Amino acid sequence: MAELLQHLLNGLVLGGTYALLGIGLTLIFGLMNVVNFAHGEFYALGAYVSFAALALAGSDFFVALLVAIVAGAALGWLCEVALLRPLRNESIDTTMLVMIGVGIAMQNAELLGWGGVAKSIPHPFPTAPLVLGPVAIAPLRLFVLVLAAGLIAAAWLLIQKTKLGRAMRATFQDRDTAALMGVSIGRIHAATFAFGSGLAAAAGALLGPIFLVYPSMGDLASLKAFSVVILGGLGNLPGATLGGLLLGIAEELGAGYISSGYRDAIGFVIIILVLLFRPSGLFARQERIA
Amino acid sequence: MSNCSIVLSALVLVALATLAVPGESQAPIKIGVIEPLSGPVAASGNYVRMGAEIARDWLNAKGGIAGRKIDLLIEDNKSDPKEAASAAEKLIVRDKVPAIMGAWGSSMTLAAMPKLEEYGVPMVVETSSAAAITKRGNPWIFRISPPSEMEALGLEQYVDKLGVKRVDFLAVNTDWGRGSITAFGDMLKKKGAAVGVAEFMDQSATDMNAQITKIKATGGDTLFLTTAVEQITLVMKQAQEQRLGRKIVTTGGSSSPTQLIKQAGAAAEGSYHIVFFMPWFPESMPDGKLAKAFVDEWAKRGHPFEGLTEGFRGHDGIATIAEAIRVAGKDDPKAVREALWSVSLMGVNGPIKFEKDGPAGKESGQSKPSIFVVQIRDGKVALPDFLAKK
Amino acid sequence: MTRTGGWLLVAGALALPLWLPSPYHLHVAIMAGIFGVLAMSLNLLLGYTGQLSLGHAAFFGIGAYTSALLTLKLDWSFWPALAAAVAVAGAAGFVIGRLALKLRGAYFVLVTISFAGVISLVSVNWIELTNGPLGLPGVPAPELGPWSLRTKTAYYYLVLAAVGLSYLVCRRLVRSRIGRALVALRENEPLAESVGVDVTHYLVLAAVVSAAMAGLGGSLYAHYTRFVSPEVFLFTYTVTMVIMVVAGGKGTLAGPLVGAVLFTALPEALRAAASWQWQMLAYGVLLVLLVFFLPRGIVPRLGVALRRPEPVTPTARR
Repeated sequence: MAELLQHLLNGLVLGGTYALLGIGLTLIFGLMNVVNFAHGEFYALGAYVSFAALALAGSDFFVALLVAIVAGAALGWLCEVALLRPLRNESIDTTMLVMIGVGIAMQNAELLGWGGVAKSIPHPFPTAPLVLGPVAIAPLRLFVLVLAAGLIAAAWLLIQKTKLGRAMRATFQDRDTAALMGVSIGRIHAATFAFGSGLAAAAGALLGPIFLVYPSMGDLASLKAFSVVILGGLGNLPGATLGGLLLGIAEELGAGYISSGYRDAIGFVIIILVLLFRPSGLFARQERIA
Repeated sequence: MSNCSIVLSALVLVALATLAVPGESQAPIKIGVIEPLSGPVAASGNYVRMGAEIARDWLNAKGGIAGRKIDLLIEDNKSDPKEAASAAEKLIVRDKVPAIMGAWGSSMTLAAMPKLEEYGVPMVVETSSAAAITKRGNPWIFRISPPSEMEALGLEQYVDKLGVKRVDFLAVNTDWGRGSITAFGDMLKKKGAAVGVAEFMDQSATDMNAQITKIKATGGDTLFLTTAVEQITLVMKQAQEQRLGRKIVTTGGSSSPTQLIKQAGAAAEGSYHIVFFMPWFPESMPDGKLAKAFVDEWAKRGHPFEGLTEGFRGHDGIATIAEAIRVAGKDDPKAVREALWSVSLMGVNGPIKFEKDGPAGKESGQSKPSIFVVQIRDGKVALPDFLAKK
Repeated sequence: MTRTGGWLLVAGALALPLWLPSPYHLHVAIMAGIFGVLAMSLNLLLGYTGQLSLGHAAFFGIGAYTSALLTLKLDWSFWPALAAAVAVAGAAGFVIGRLALKLRGAYFVLVTISFAGVISLVSVNWIELTNGPLGLPGVPAPELGPWSLRTKTAYYYLVLAAVGLSYLVCRRLVRSRIGRALVALRENEPLAESVGVDVTHYLVLAAVVSAAMAGLGGSLYAHYTRFVSPEVFLFTYTVTMVIMVVAGGKGTLAGPLVGAVLFTALPEALRAAASWQWQMLAYGVLLVLLVFFLPRGIVPRLGVALRRPEPVTPTARR
């Protein structure tokens, strides 16, 4: 019983990190129809920027987080304006390839600049676990989980309550009509990409201290983020959050009770099943965009 | 279709022109190096490269081999067997190297091996641990790193002192991790220890909580851990978060205890590590003077100390090849292979001398490297208590 | 005159081993040929049905493993193993085609990625069958009657024959009713359906042929490198195929071949041109530039049309 509870808690914490990775991508993917394989590289970028700010410039943990978000958003904005905007009418595989190229270049630039050795981001929390009856959790993980929930809530509010968010939702539902209503599609796309990339960078800055920071860290992150997006449905923030939690718990239980060698297969199988039986995602309310 | 074919031919020509053979210059002796310099294990590959460069510079400072300088041709295998095979092909055919050192991971080495046989060029294997490498009957393979079985035998004498009664395994899901579990499992069973669960993690996985929770439930006393240093760090941190409370023994020699102390902190306290080089106390190595000089040179170049446990492999590999070329008296692949059978030198790890391994008539060479155990105690690397006072 | 050009090209390819300076260049040519087969196979899906498969390495790997296992464990000879590799990969394509035929665009992409992910993990974990992460070394070189095709030159001609065969199959398919139906589907699915094109049938057919060709490439790869390990399922292999198709020009017959030659030679040229630190960085930047400036690919951009001009209208956004 204690084992099961611990597995569930692990899964929840892990799922929180997946959700954080997924929400940025679900906006980009859903709204812009860009299969952004560089998403994980923005995650790595956030981790490196945060590391640089904390370890080298000696800044505060929250300042470093902010700097990482700004850096991620700025580079995301640049990518959209310089590369994706001119290709907006090209097909999905063309933009995907461009972003794959960007991802390869970013990863290898990091390798060149920082070397391949993993960095560890310092954090102010005690390492001794908090013991809650039969289960244990590290204070840092708890903190990150809370902060991630806060970030997700803030993103949701931005989309639901602000003018920019309304324009984004309008573009998502019907781009042409939104454009006719005076929404500047170019600006919305740039804002979406910057926003999504900023969220990925935030994830990197938050998860960096839990894990390690190294150039190829983005590969796994991209893959998990895509899984989350599909589970939750395109452009669906609450869906991505639930999808992330579901994926985390499923992987955890699968590795615990089925086979750790097949751990990642569990996520893939769920995706295949979801796509076959509920192609618009587990938690989708609206029709999938065509 | 004519336009199309002209374009095609032009493209082929352009592509091949860029590949054209450059002018021959016979002055320096070339040695090929194939390592993973980008991708997930780039750190380790680069440490090996740094060690190889030290060996080259030392040899050249002493006047090279018979007055000829040594030149390293370094190729990236990107942790991809296809790239390893292509790199071997390129080094052998285009650069005409008389010998190669490589290729870190076992599957990269195995992929490059048919090329060695095809062209008849020897390769000194510096890291790979899969038994299959020397058992396949490829007479161009000379390995200076220990296969997992040899490593397990090296640990056998300490099992009682370590107090291993009930053991579980956690390993990276590669040939290396799986090979280690088999080898150490067999050895420990023979020593009367009970073997619990064997869990795996993907090479790029970062969250191992599920495996740790499962291992915790078995109630054993020791965890054997086989993976690269990054994942060891994560496992140790996560084991601490879950109050696993096991003795941890890492295998494979890629654990870099210094990096663990830095990055896992208290979580690494008390753990044991099988290493093939002890840069903390070079004087305890078989050739204390050489080991000390290597540690000093590494520091002088500003390389990170934690890379030494990996970097020495590069030095020993290149030193072995250079010695073989010196013995052979020429940089011809066949002569170098013959000479490899008779080399006997002192590496940073210890004596290097090849013995026959594999099917009769087509044996590969296998050296018997020295194997050491260290412990992290009070935030420092120390000889284990059962070895310290003697 | 188009025919003359085609024959010239064939003659050039046949004579290639004569004027290549070294076996290393021949090695690059063989890899280009194998990837040419793979790129053509991906192009059938991506170029003609507009469906992006990011799990294509799975069919490649299935072909490689089938061929390697049959020759190693059951002592089959090369030719029946090759045929079996094509058949098994084609069967896998049938399964995926049936399962995924309702999905379009990004959803299709993700099902194929997931499929490749599962297959790759099976190859790592099903030790008894696949030998796990250690892979299968010692895959035998093919034989043709009394001759061994062990030499590079012989293997080059084998691969060249496979490239030629694949090209003819693609051409035949594309220029038939089937090809027109596929293009009609790509351009406007509801319209195609309304005039009686059986969507399901044609998509599955395209998936089967495409997967079978990828299996052919896999078998050729296995018997050339003589070593198969779970890395054949690496995502980078799929990405490489997509790069070749899109950069060369999807939906054209020659495009994938141009892309395959270019993007097999490029990393090798970078080996010669730049030190290892810069190679992958340069590769990424070159890829971005190429796609950015030639988003429809090299062949269409050069205005090269095959006998009948191919429609180069953009694939409908989904």
